[in-house]
Amino acid sequence: MSGEGKRLRRLLFSNPLSLFGVVTTTIFVVLALLDVLTFGKITPFSPYLVNFSQANLSPSLAHFFGTDFEGRDIFSQVIAALPVDMGISIAVVVTSALMGIVLGTLAGFFRGIFDEVIMRLTDMFLAFPQIIMSLAIAATLGPSLLNVSLSLIVVWWPPYVRLVRGAVLAVSAEDYVSVSKSLNSSFLYIVRKDALPNVLPSVLVYATTDIGSALLTLSTLGYLNVGIPPAMPELGKMVSSVTYNLYLYPTQVIIPALIVMLMVAGFSFLGEGLRESLDVKLRPHILIRGRGLDAAVGDLTKKGSGAGPTTSS
Amino acid sequence: MLVGVALIVFFISHILNPDPAVLWAGPRARPETIKAVAAAYHLNDPLLTQLYYYFQGLVTGNFGVDPQTGRSILSEILFYAPNTLELVLASMVIIIVLGVGLGYISGMRFGTKVDSAIRVFYLTTWSTPYYLGALMSVLVFASYIPLFPSGGNGAVGFSYTPITGIFVLDSLLQANWPALESGLYHLVLPATTLALLSFGIVPRIMRSSILDTRWSTHVKAARARGLQEGEVRRKHILRNALIDTTTVIATTFGWLFSGTIIVEQIFAWPGIGQFSYTAIVSDNYPVLVACVFVFTVGVIIANFIADIIYPLLDPRITLGEGG
Repeated sequence: MSGEGKRLRRLLFSNPLSLFGVVTTTIFVVLALLDVLTFGKITPFSPYLVNFSQANLSPSLAHFFGTDFEGRDIFSQVIAALPVDMGISIAVVVTSALMGIVLGTLAGFFRGIFDEVIMRLTDMFLAFPQIIMSLAIAATLGPSLLNVSLSLIVVWWPPYVRLVRGAVLAVSAEDYVSVSKSLNSSFLYIVRKDALPNVLPSVLVYATTDIGSALLTLSTLGYLNVGIPPAMPELGKMVSSVTYNLYLYPTQVIIPALIVMLMVAGFSFLGEGLRESLDVKLRPHILIRGRGLDAAVGDLTKKGSGAGPTTSS
Repeated sequence: MLVGVALIVFFISHILNPDPAVLWAGPRARPETIKAVAAAYHLNDPLLTQLYYYFQGLVTGNFGVDPQTGRSILSEILFYAPNTLELVLASMVIIIVLGVGLGYISGMRFGTKVDSAIRVFYLTTWSTPYYLGALMSVLVFASYIPLFPSGGNGAVGFSYTPITGIFVLDSLLQANWPALESGLYHLVLPATTLALLSFGIVPRIMRSSILDTRWSTHVKAARARGLQEGEVRRKHILRNALIDTTTVIATTFGWLFSGTIIVEQIFAWPGIGQFSYTAIVSDNYPVLVACVFVFTVGVIIANFIADIIYPLLDPRITLGEGG
């Protein structure tokens, strides 16, 4: 186990891409946690402090990122927005992954009508363009952190069900699962000992990259001023509140948006790095509608049989 | 499929909110307005009756009346849809050419500097929020280096008779060269922006499929049979890799449609994306619901087309059916 850990660490740190991912995500997660744990005391200024005599300043030593049209410190606003952005994205992805693991395992093991119903539903929800669907739900439910998370989860869970179900189907075809079944092992035992260890690495890799995608969608909702409560700092919302200043003070607009981009890139690169080191082959067409489910299972069962160097997608 | 999707949209628009009439009338509406809206959209009837009206509306293409302009939502959508189609299709062409090309190069040069550069490029564009990408390209390519116009679809100032409603196509059909030039000139920047911001997954899948097939036995067999390298690459590697990529390309339509909401707004492109953006910021709920439905149908159609193309690319399917 420790050898495995050492190998993982070496691979993550040797590759500049994944090193970038590890460093960026760590910095942002630590900053977000610090901000929550100190109740927002780590920001140099209050993110809500309006001071018109200090409006529209360029970045300087006093105001690292400058100030906006109302003289609020942009750096402090960014820090205050981190827990919101980071927290919601992680919560959405974790909830979706859990839903996927439960539904996918059940569907994969019990097949039949249950499987059919779950997969039909999954296909239907996959048909919706993510941003547009969560936009509609968030607009319907009205602004609140819970509602915006719900609106994202509604479009976020389907790929996980597909991913887990495919992996479970592939595993149940293996001999050791048949043996386990014939030894009268309980369903939960098989899931815990045989299925989950095979499923979790793919879920982990997919989820890491996915936090970035959730963040993108969340901040786009924020940019459209949907779902995020009015007083809540959020990076996308910060951008849209100063867009009209783009030509005069481009840094006000670009900096919060760049932070979003950095965070998303961090999670993507980390996901890429994990994928390479865990040697997980993700076949995205398992995650999307359009191909027969059996084809997807076939792809998973032949996983690892390919010749040539270890590849990653 | 379509019925299920329609049911989900119905659930969101009619059931999810405890008081849909307030939503449809807008948050600042007077009580009597809310009552009138509830009556006009049958929001006080039993759910089954509402469902009946809803499906009747969908089947007859009647999305209701836009409460802000008084025109029928369908006519507005039909007016905006061709422009969105123009933008999305143009982006799709860019995505296919660039995505497949870059993925192919990256896969064939696995492990080299070129490979890493391409990977960093597509991972970065994928990580860029639509609003950042669109604002930056307006700022840089329309303001700092004024190469392209910052907004519009170029149709202003040209009198033309709409045939398809797609400006570039219409001016081409009618051999109206100045109009075509203006149309293309206005199209380049938003289409490229939309394409680059949405295309990340295409080169990614292309690259991994290339890597999967490059060292596979059937490619070795083709080489062993003495086929020329060009032919091996074209017929055995590229074609094989395109199969997976096609399915993924269909899914990028979802991202393209989502992206139009931001990109069209920033580029003042008169399409459904901007229409829905306006609906969002002005609390125009009926229009928003109609737009969501139209976008989703668009994605379903794109997937359907991919399902048709797919067997054309994969000879195993035709072989299997032919015995």
